[in-house]
Amino acid sequence: MTTNGREPRSKLPLDGIRVLDITVVWAGPYSTMQLGDWGAEVIRVESTKYFAATTRGQMARPPKEVVEAQARAGGMGYPDNEAGERPWNRSAVFNAHGRNKRSVTIDLTSPEGQEAFERLIAASDGLIENNVPISMEKWGVTYERLSKINPRLIMVRMPAFGLAGPYKNYRTWGNHMEALSGHPLIRAYPNLSPEYAAGGVPADAAGGVGAAFAFTLGLRYRRRTGKGLMIEAPTAENFVPLLGEYVMDYTMNGRVRTQVGNEHWTNAPHNSYRCQGEDRWITVGVWNEEQWRSLCGLMRQENLVEDPRFIDMASRFENRHELDSTIGEWTGTRQPHWLVERLQAAGVPSGVVMNERDALEDRHLHERGFWHSLDHPEAGNYRHVGPAWKASQTPNDTPRRHAPLLGQDNEYVYKTVLGYTDDEYRDLEEKGQIGMDFAPEVP
Amino acid sequence: MLMPMDGVRVVDLTRFTAGPFCTRILSDYGADVIKIEEPGAGDPARRMPPFHKDDPGLEKSGVFLFLNTNKRSVTLNLRTEDGKSILKELVKGADILVENFSPGVMDGLGLTYDVLSEINPKLVMTSISNFGQWGPYRDWQATDLTLYGMGGNMSGSGDPELEPLKTTGRMTSYHVGYASALATAIALVNADLSGEGELIDASAFEIMLQSIDSRMQRLLGFQYNDKVPERLGAAGQMGLGSGTLPCLDGHFMLTGGPVMFPNIARMIDAEYLLEMPEWNTVAARSRPEAAEEFEALLIPWTLERTKEQIQAKCMEFSVLGGPMNTIEDLVNDERFDERGYWQTIDHPETGPVKYPGYHFRFHTGDGEAMPERRPAPLLGQHTSEILIELGRTPEDISGLRAQGTI
Repeated sequence: MTTNGREPRSKLPLDGIRVLDITVVWAGPYSTMQLGDWGAEVIRVESTKYFAATTRGQMARPPKEVVEAQARAGGMGYPDNEAGERPWNRSAVFNAHGRNKRSVTIDLTSPEGQEAFERLIAASDGLIENNVPISMEKWGVTYERLSKINPRLIMVRMPAFGLAGPYKNYRTWGNHMEALSGHPLIRAYPNLSPEYAAGGVPADAAGGVGAAFAFTLGLRYRRRTGKGLMIEAPTAENFVPLLGEYVMDYTMNGRVRTQVGNEHWTNAPHNSYRCQGEDRWITVGVWNEEQWRSLCGLMRQENLVEDPRFIDMASRFENRHELDSTIGEWTGTRQPHWLVERLQAAGVPSGVVMNERDALEDRHLHERGFWHSLDHPEAGNYRHVGPAWKASQTPNDTPRRHAPLLGQDNEYVYKTVLGYTDDEYRDLEEKGQIGMDFAPEVP
Repeated sequence: MLMPMDGVRVVDLTRFTAGPFCTRILSDYGADVIKIEEPGAGDPARRMPPFHKDDPGLEKSGVFLFLNTNKRSVTLNLRTEDGKSILKELVKGADILVENFSPGVMDGLGLTYDVLSEINPKLVMTSISNFGQWGPYRDWQATDLTLYGMGGNMSGSGDPELEPLKTTGRMTSYHVGYASALATAIALVNADLSGEGELIDASAFEIMLQSIDSRMQRLLGFQYNDKVPERLGAAGQMGLGSGTLPCLDGHFMLTGGPVMFPNIARMIDAEYLLEMPEWNTVAARSRPEAAEEFEALLIPWTLERTKEQIQAKCMEFSVLGGPMNTIEDLVNDERFDERGYWQTIDHPETGPVKYPGYHFRFHTGDGEAMPERRPAPLLGQHTSEILIELGRTPEDISGLRAQGTI
């Protein structure tokens, strides 16, 4: 879809930008994934002696019970429920967000590792990390030190709560920082104990996008000033604006809203409704009278349009539970895709609550070429999501490279980028600094 | 402080939530965002609750106020020839145009990327929509609920026996806006170097499918085992010692799991378990009954403590956990705010109000603080100012006003 007869670009926009990646769990790896998707050379700095939990799986060598539990949960399972010889190369979540990246092993706790790291910092444009600050300090990964080695370095740090203050070393995942920020309590089911609240990590998604955005702004800053900078992007602070109207309702009106579930501020119907089949659901959310009349027509319940309980939006909102039951009776005996095709044809905002199979079989995504097949030498050939957006002049068939095996790019980084000799390389191999396996003592 | 987007001009045709979130974050970091609004009506977000003191008014929507800080508002009727020509003049001097009309609306106005990039070849144009600018669902209707249901991990969110839950409020739209800002910034870097802009097609559906909010990894994990993963409830995927647990003054979210179990056992003074064969290996702790057995020790412990006490214990023992706060708890948490997060912004119709602060902060080594943000504009507040910048005379402006163009 190029425009005005221009030639498409042959390079991706971040081509030639080298970003070191010391990220763990989900938010950090997701940020460098965005940069890698658009051409940056992302090099994961990993260690054969230290396993960062929940990054390349739960454990380096998980017992079968853990493998099975991860498969039930979906995103952290292993192909065919087998951890394999090198489980760290087979975890779904790592193989998803690890795409387009390289991996080098450097042990930051050793002098040789620190030397290699310093040389690599000098040869890079950026560094992104999302560890507890105390860990970074222990390994000497501070802007103060690194900017002396490379004054043009753009360093993005994304701890949970910031680089100073009482929560500096408060270790959380996205869901816990969201709990502190108020999200799961607002999101919880109405009229049920918050013990039924949903887990979820939109804060990790926003954190990843935000840190990638921050880095991109850093590139622009550097181009203008010739200098690098440090960007502090605490994932909690980054997330709170996504609760903006709830914050404003409190700061403007003193109102504290909790347990909203799927309810809208003013509109009804607005919920998910059970359909025929096992755990099948659609959503319906109506915002005007025309959509409401169309919905009643499809349900063959035109009488509802005149029903005083549902006569206008305010009445429908007041009586939303009755309305939900009525709609649920109609959807309960019908198939989700059948319903949505008809609802959308009638202009009613609705959609299947798509499980993974629905998404992979979806006709719209197929037509837009959203999925990309990619072979992985230790996991197999599967379909991956494409880049998050399309750019008219920049064809992008990402993912271009499979998620890196641990240490896959050691030769490239040590020899090609840093100029280590064969002898020096062998020496580091013997010391266990360079390798493709976690040390046997790593659980 | 020099901001990275200083000197970047954005023509902002966005309305509602996703688009304005995108341009707001560009303006946070220095871009001059010119918000084009329909004369009289303005951005429909001006009519979205909550309102200041629950008093609906075009200048009082909390949604609008927080989404439009730092921007300048111009009213312009794009259905008139004069309106279009003013827009084209703005595009000529701009770097970026962002719009989130339904697909086809810009084409209908004759404002396609082909036309606009003739005027300004380096223009980056970002089109944000529900399902993309083309494809079978292009014209489908959608809300935040629809898009999280289709694109996001709604199928995996909530209790397995109950209905799937969306994320809160307009969070999906905001996330889509954030990703669109990233798309725009990357395209701008590209345009800076090549002198050539491009058109970004940002589909909310696809952005959500690519999300690490338990979606992209489950899409791959599903293929690994050909099994639709379970909806997991509050305990998430970690089990054992995980969940939203009652405590003395509310609820607390904890994450344990067989691997991280030792820290949580130590935290509740149950270190002795680690010596017992039922608990001393990851495999033993993965027993199906383990979660319930451990809960019998854990819940009495949480019930004796406040959220704040449990939080302190989590920090001490490196256990993953967070208090189930209300927004009130968050805003009043002095530890969260010790570094000065919230920003008080004075708006003529509401007076000073506390807003969420910056997403991230720059440390450039010159010790300067991040700038304060300006309040959201009144409808058309900057119309004359911007037309004068374009070289229009006061007489031209009165004429345009009389015709209803501005």
